Order: sequence, then structure tokens, then C-alpha cells
Amino acid sequence: MAGMHALQKMIAARAQPARAFAAAGEFVEIEPDIFSVIVSFNATEARNLVANLTDLGVRNLPIKHKIIAFSDHGSPAPSANAAEGHKLWRDFYRAHGVEVVDGGAGISHLVLVERGIAGPGDIVINQDSHAPTVGAIGAFGTSLGGGRMMLYALGRYWIEVPQVVRVKLEGRLRPGVFGRDVALHVNGVLGQQGALGMGLEFAGSYVDEASMDMRFTLCNMGTEMGAVSSYIQPDARTLAWLQPRCKKPFTVFETDHDFAYESTHVIDVAAIEPQVAVPHACDDVKPVSVVAGRHIDQAYLGSCASGRLEDIATAAAMIKGRKVHPDVRLIVTPGSREVLMAATKAGYIDTLHEANAIVTNANCGACPGIHGGILAPGEVAISTSTRNNKGRMGRGAEIYLASPATVVASAIAGCIANPGDYL
Amino acid sequence: MKLNGSAWKFMQEDISTDLIRGKAWSHLPPQEQGAHCLEEVDATFAAQAQPGDFIVAGKNFGCGSSTAAHVAVIGLGIGAVIAESLGKLFVTNAASAGLWAVSCPGIIAFTNAGDKLELDTASWQVRNLSTGQLIAAKPLPTFLCEMIELGGEKNYLRARLARESAG
Ligand code: SF4
Repeated sequence: MAGMHALQKMIAARAQPARAFAAAGEFVEIEPDIFSVIVSFNATEARNLVANLTDLGVRNLPIKHKIIAFSDHGSPAPSANAAEGHKLWRDFYRAHGVEVVDGGAGISHLVLVERGIAGPGDIVINQDSHAPTVGAIGAFGTSLGGGRMMLYALGRYWIEVPQVVRVKLEGRLRPGVFGRDVALHVNGVLGQQGALGMGLEFAGSYVDEASMDMRFTLCNMGTEMGAVSSYIQPDARTLAWLQPRCKKPFTVFETDHDFAYESTHVIDVAAIEPQVAVPHACDDVKPVSVVAGRHIDQAYLGSCASGRLEDIATAAAMIKGRKVHPDVRLIVTPGSREVLMAATKAGYIDTLHEANAIVTNANCGACPGIHGGILAPGEVAISTSTRNNKGRMGRGAEIYLASPATVVASAIAGCIANPGDYL
Repeated sequence: MKLNGSAWKFMQEDISTDLIRGKAWSHLPPQEQGAHCLEEVDATFAAQAQPGDFIVAGKNFGCGSSTAAHVAVIGLGIGAVIAESLGKLFVTNAASAGLWAVSCPGIIAFTNAGDKLELDTASWQVRNLSTGQLIAAKPLPTFLCEMIELGGEKNYLRARLARESAG
């Protein structure tokens, strides 16, 4: 029998009925460990779901103890419409005894791992598309494509067992280059379909030395390459990070030595300059020197890609004793309350205030273009968020994606700038 | 189950969900979305397609985001999508709504525009009634077939819940 990848073993372990083997391309019915859902804006969807479940006679959700709802997109509500949607969804979840992690707690992808809700070996179905983020602790995080009603009514989901692409990141970064630059670079090399429908594993000497914060950043961007799930093999650093957080038992799966990857890309990270994805595609990635000097109106630091403590620490260290350029708004949105509290304790938040940054509560912030920080037509932003699709942060606006360091350097300069000049 | 339909051929590869149904139409009722189905690829298709017709497509049809593009295909009354290969989310989204989306390597060379095709989801073969030829399609898992035959996820769940409560 051919060797299996750790991601494939997780599917086999959760299969209903249980099985020993799961081959790429097979559809397997599973019971997930966690079903993460959203306190959404969409009132119609909430009404339809309630009507459908009533129609089906489903009174109790069989895996309600495994469902967890996050109020992270546009929270607290920025408009009356959003508030109505939020209320209907909260009512639905609470009526079914589903835990609601309410506004200010942070983005699902951060909170799930920080609070130890998800552990290695878990299958985490997330209604949100950046589900692969939790792959950094060795969990299988994947997003929904059909099957939502089945999860509510039966507590089951089907997964097509993925083949896996491996990206080996070797070497040490130059000063001014960070994990987010590596993620952007990989996105540029592989393209938006580089791991389409597959698992995406990160390995190599850079990953071995990378902090957990940077590993989450890498795994997060799997979504932008079409991956159904990202993966980093848990090591001593992973287990040390999990130790105070994840109190439940978990299993670390390992890939068989004879597993045949779909392909392996080897990338020398020592050769990378700070990277910028230019409008309007996340895989249109260029070295910062090519776009330096471009005028910006807003700089945004946050999102499930780059809203972690290390990101804010980098920003604070660079901006200490400097000011945000008077023509620029620098918005900093911590990814979770845990990050916000730690950043406050460490003095980073004071430093940001002193530099005239706008610090918000923890949530998705300006990333999805439905909360504070929406852009006007013709405005230009540089952002650490996940996507720069046309119109995402405001109609007719342009988004450049970059690392926290490049975003802060640009906020100080008033135009896209190389962070190397501000270290 | 056997389905018959006339083929509309889309040779182009990587037709994304956004090309199948432009985001601008996502708020419309299904039938009105159908009128815009694949309009960026073939402006005359939606106006001429008849209920039950098949879409025959190239590689990676329905790639891209999980946006509900299948709603436009169903809204137009298309009987089945048979493609060289398909985006994964498109297949499961389509099945949830009761639409056959089947991979069939070789289908482009096998089919001329307008040919009458018969899709047999028991033997997993496509018969070209115009040329008399047969080609193998890739089987979908049994539960997805049941879901599609019953008309989608909700009916499938109704049947399963009834089965499970009957023991
Ligand atoms: S931060 Fe942005 S990409 Fe991440 S979950 Fe929120 S809206 Fe989605």
C-alpha cells in the first residue's frame, strides 16, 4: 500500500465508519472535531437555514458541542443591516446551545488555536475561507463547499482526500525580510492555482527555525494558492507553544517516508527582498524596490494573515520615536484579544498611539471592506491583509499587500517604502 | 440514472465560477441568473440553450471561489455538466443543489457541438447518440449520486434522517 500523508491519515482517523486508509481522490464521510461558523451579516441565510432545519424536523444539532460561532467579520456591527443579521445568527446559535465567541475576542483562525480549541490531528471545518491557517499546528483546516446543512443536521461532512504539494523553504532571511514576505513570494511562484484542490505542506530549514506566528502566516496563505488545507509537521516548537494552551489530548500524525508528493518546490529564502503583491492579484508579486515611492492613503496592519504579536512587535519597534506621515492613516487591528492584551503589556500599543496610529479592537477589521477603514474610489492602501482583489476594501481603490514591516515603513514615508531604511 | 441532452461545447480551460456567473448577478433569482450563465465566454449561449441541454467543457471547469455559480447553471435548466475535469468546490456545490457535474477526460474530442449525449450514472459512461461512440466518465461517490438523484442536499438529508430514525 502506498504511503500516506499526515493530512490523509487525519481523514482516515475521522472517517465514518472508521477506516485505515484514505487515498487521494476518494470522498470520505467524516465527523469533524470542530465546525467553526460565523455570526454573519446575512439575515436571509439565517432565516433559510432555520426554515430548512425546521422542515427536516431537526431540533437538536447532533454536534452542537463541536460547533463554535465567531463574531469576527464586521464586529461590533457597523450598520443597522449588519446588526439585524448578527442578531438572527446569534439567536439561532444560542437557541441551539452553540457557543458564541462574541465581538472583540478576535478572528476565528487565531482564537481556535490560542485557546486550544483546535489541536494537532483535528479536522477543523471552518465556514471562513482561511481555514488552512490551523495547519501550522498540524491540524487539518478546510473550508466549506456545499454540505453546510449536513453539518448542522447530521454532524457529518464529506472530504475529498487531497494529494499534497510540498514547498521546501531553505536558508535564512535577510534583514528587513519576514515570514510574510516568504508567504507572498511563495504565492507569486506557485500562482493562485499552484495547490488547487490539494494540501500544501511547508517544510525546510527556514520553517524549522520560524516562530509559530510566522508559521501561521505561511499556512494562512495556502488559501490564496487554492489549497484545501495547509500543513507544517509539528515539532518541539509547536508542542512548546501548545503546552499552555491545548489541554485536551491530541494526536500528532506523521507522513509516511514513502509518501509520493504531487510535486516539491524548493525556494531559497535568502534570495528574497521584501515582497509586495500589486493590484489586483495576490500572485502578482514584485520586490518592494519595483513599487517603492508609490503614494498611499492608508496603511493597514492586521487580519488572519498578519495580526499576531510578532507582527505588532515589529511595527512598534520600527515606529518608536517616529510618526505616521500626516497624509496617511495607519490602522492597526490585533487579530485577537490575547494579542491585544500582550501588545498592551509590552508597551507596543502605547508606542503606536504615540506615533499617531489608529489602534482598533480585535476583529477582521478593514480586511473584508465592511468595517472601519473602507477606502474611497481612487485611494491606495498598503495592507498586511490576505487579498487585494478589485474592490475588496472599497470600490475603485487599489490594494498592495506587504509585510507588517513594509506597511509600517510606508506609513512613515507616506509612500511605499523599503523597511530596510527604518530598521 | 440516464440523462439525455444536446451538447453545448466550451473548449476553453479554467472557466472559473466568476465566468460561469458574474458576481454582479448573484442577487438575482435563479432563472434570471441563468440568463447570464457563461455570458462572458459565449454571449449567445444562455438565450439559445434548451432545458435539459448539457454543458460540455474543457479542463478545470468551475475553478476558483466557492461562489454559488451553479445556481445560474441550474437556473438555465441545464441537465448536466460534463467536463474534461472540474473544480472541486463546483462539484460539491452542484451536488448540494441537485446538479450532475461529471469529469470525463476526452469528452471534448468525443463531442461535436449539438451532438445528442446520454449520461449513464449507473455504468458511468457517456454515449454519443449522434456518433454511436462510448466514453468512460469518472464515477462520483455513491452518497453524492443519491444526493443529486433526490434533488439536492435537503432532500438527501430528509431521506437519511428517515432511514436513520427507522434504525
Ligand atoms: S481577516 Fe480577512 S481574510 Fe481573515 S477571516 Fe477576516 S475577513 Fe477573512
